[in-house]
Amino acid sequence: MPSPPDAEDELIARAVAGDADAFEALVKPHLGLFHHGILRILGDPMDAEDALQEALIAIHRELPRFEGRSRFSSWGYRVCLNAALMVRRSRVRVREREQREEPAIGPFDSRGHHLEAPGAVPWHVEAEAHGLAERREIRELFLQALETLPDGVRAVFVLKDLEDWDSEAIARHLGISPAAVRQRLHRARTTLQARLRDHCRGGRP
Amino acid sequence: MSLMPTCQSVQERATDYLEGQLGLRARLGIRLHLLLCRACHAFVDGLRHLPGFAKRALGLPSETPPGSHAALEAALRRIRAGD
Repeated sequence: MPSPPDAEDELIARAVAGDADAFEALVKPHLGLFHHGILRILGDPMDAEDALQEALIAIHRELPRFEGRSRFSSWGYRVCLNAALMVRRSRVRVREREQREEPAIGPFDSRGHHLEAPGAVPWHVEAEAHGLAERREIRELFLQALETLPDGVRAVFVLKDLEDWDSEAIARHLGISPAAVRQRLHRARTTLQARLRDHCRGGRP
Repeated sequence: MSLMPTCQSVQERATDYLEGQLGLRARLGIRLHLLLCRACHAFVDGLRHLPGFAKRALGLPSETPPGSHAALEAALRRIRAGD
């Protein structure tokens, strides 16, 4: 459980003064949150562990500049996302070969109209009716689907749709144009929707 | 060019539409198409609901992953060593 605000302020002051035990007590309640944010961007648990270690060092280094304008957990979480993006940038050259896959739409006929009749009930209506969002299987399905996306596409989806960053900030952090952000977002959303549509119809993942 | 876009065009531009990045003419064309096409309406509506659904499905897990404790211990070793 996070420390009460006064106790947290004291831990911050002690950690800034060099007390490593205070730093441990300060960050420990938020480890799950920090790890969660990093893992969603990187996908790989080993990479996430390395990035979390670097993020904790960065939090410790930057702590004297923490002004308390936001909650410590929010500030630390932001530092963690930046650490994850740094790791992602460093591995992009090695792993990312952007396949030119089309978004998961269609199929269409030669005039651009649907070839298939739509399902009777939209996937999200089925999913809500059966309470699927809270089910472990759907969490696993999402994680697997995210894992199949190229790193750059997954990072955009996580930052935009899960972390609520605006497109300009994402473009800046990833070094791409806002149009490319929307292109990647479209690819992520359509791919994830296609997976969900297949699994949610009938209420069974 | 016709005001009414094809299904393919609607689905290709669905994210731009939802993000408010299309001009008036394109926006009206898609809106008109969605009134008449059940499949595209379901497609765009599904994309609209996806972020909220994903947030709930991928919420914070109840247990702290073991790897995060190892990361903290490694970081503390470096901090105590003056890294």
